[in-house]
Amino acid sequence: MSDASTPDSVEPDHEHEHRHEGPGYATPQAAIEEGEREKLAYVMSLYVGTDVDAPDFVSVVDLDPDSDTYCEIVDRIELPNRGDELHHFGWNACSSSCHMEGLERRHLIVPGQRSSRIHVLDAQDRRNPELETVIEPEEVFEYDLSAPHTVHCIPDGEILISMLGDADGELPGGFLELNEDFEIEGRWEPPGEIEMNYDYWYQPRQNVMVSSEWAAPETYYPGFDLEDVEAGNYGQRLHFWDWEAGTVEQTIDLGEEGLIPLEVRFLHTPESTHGFVGAALSSNIFHFWRDESAADGDGAYRAEKVIDFESREHDDWDMPVPALPTDILISMDDRYLFGSNWLHGEVWMYDISDPSNPRRADSLSVGGTFGEVQEVQDRELAAGPQMIQLSLDGERLYWTTSLFSSWDDQFYPEEAERGSVMLKADVDPRKGTMKLDEDFLVDWGECPAGPARAHEIRWPDGDCTSDVWQ
Amino acid sequence: MTSHDVTLEWPDGRTRTVEVDENETILEAAECDGSVLPYGCRTGACGTCSGRLLEVEGTRPSNGERAGDGDADVCAVDDVVAYRRLPRALKDRHRATGYVLLCIASPRADCRIAVGSSVHSELVDNPWK
Ligand code: FES
Repeated sequence: MSDASTPDSVEPDHEHEHRHEGPGYATPQAAIEEGEREKLAYVMSLYVGTDVDAPDFVSVVDLDPDSDTYCEIVDRIELPNRGDELHHFGWNACSSSCHMEGLERRHLIVPGQRSSRIHVLDAQDRRNPELETVIEPEEVFEYDLSAPHTVHCIPDGEILISMLGDADGELPGGFLELNEDFEIEGRWEPPGEIEMNYDYWYQPRQNVMVSSEWAAPETYYPGFDLEDVEAGNYGQRLHFWDWEAGTVEQTIDLGEEGLIPLEVRFLHTPESTHGFVGAALSSNIFHFWRDESAADGDGAYRAEKVIDFESREHDDWDMPVPALPTDILISMDDRYLFGSNWLHGEVWMYDISDPSNPRRADSLSVGGTFGEVQEVQDRELAAGPQMIQLSLDGERLYWTTSLFSSWDDQFYPEEAERGSVMLKADVDPRKGTMKLDEDFLVDWGECPAGPARAHEIRWPDGDCTSDVWQ
Repeated sequence: MTSHDVTLEWPDGRTRTVEVDENETILEAAECDGSVLPYGCRTGACGTCSGRLLEVEGTRPSNGERAGDGDADVCAVDDVVAYRRLPRALKDRHRATGYVLLCIASPRADCRIAVGSSVHSELVDNPWK
């Protein structure tokens, strides 16, 4: 099904009552059953920080194995300026608006992490999206915000973007709200709710939002510096918000084992209060959940470390190399947690049927510092697995290799010369196994203007890291 | 309006001298001149536009080598450029060793500056290696 081409489709009732007249799917299970195999991917592609005289671009990648252009970048939407650092992006509408008649999952909101410029692409033609609107940085700075990160739609057609810094690139960050016409509506939250910001996810049926912490833009933009860790300039807290009120209800300090909590995901089931966050620097995964029986409060959230990746010794490194799990995602059926250990060079899947006790199902050692597979189709992998995306049916896991241009330059300087790749593993959700698909390779090293980096991946009709249900 | 000659030097040996007014930034002047320099935030927060001061007119050339602590040429960096806003992406150790944020810096003297994306990568090393 395609949201843009069939905006008015009415889904048959599944196990629930509400009418489905808007974008997306009625339930996560409906997404699995009704979603078609992903045939295209949108991928953030960038030149920022290199000497290549070209703006960042959005790649449209052909993922249809029956197509002549399989594994090729079939369209590049060049943005008007250089210097953006395209990073994360999202849709104007997702399954959280599936009751909203007339709304379509049609516009991609594409922020520049470094520039604070926000682009709106019209993706009605899924193979040839077009730039529609640009919100210039000065308009964003007026709200004393900068460094846009995670884009989610709000169920009524508005768009919320986590912003990591103030207009000067210092703290505090906050949230910027856009209206249905892609104009800045204003700040979403009352002032002073948080200092640091990064990723967020909301669970409207539980009236909760959770946000994580990276650092001030002035801290992480230039590169990763241990001095900043020692100075406490990196985050280690989770914030639980009242989704309706936009206020922080509870903050959990994850401590030293929770340094730099990045991607944060609730389970897809709208009833669930369970979720996971990856603490990149401490190389741990935390489970969080609402503890209804909490003695010291009425249903407070709890967080507990459930996965711990050990650092590894390497002959060429002076100190043990941390795993650096920089991205995680939950399969649409809420059965598996997938993640990428960017420095070690590993993608992994854990069975989270019991979210308090994740059980390691499988992993692939590929790229990075320790990966057993260091080249695919004779193409050397310059870095480890980073941003991941999973097919709706949970059978294909894809990933790219760039984290953030200045951090790439520190840990994998070759990536600037070779560019990123996109790779894929075939997943057997029944057995809980993964196998690298050596026939699949998309190479950003061959872009016309020079090697480019590749970051976040989205499917045209919803995916495991952007769809939310009411 | 007073202007100064700023010579940009790329790692591949290319050089280009740009006349920069005291009220424009070195990045702006380079762009008007058609020279491509890396940048990101243009607000002094990201360091993407970092250049490294090589020589100030009238002082001894440092032959393009990164200057060490206490180098007399480099201590002059704050006299050679005036910043429009705080250079937040640079730490004291960077400023002390001659790094300049070209997106917010205007010259106060003729000078030579190493430019290109590799200058930004010098700011921080891999801490585990
Ligand atoms: S462009 Fe970001 S500091 Fe100059």
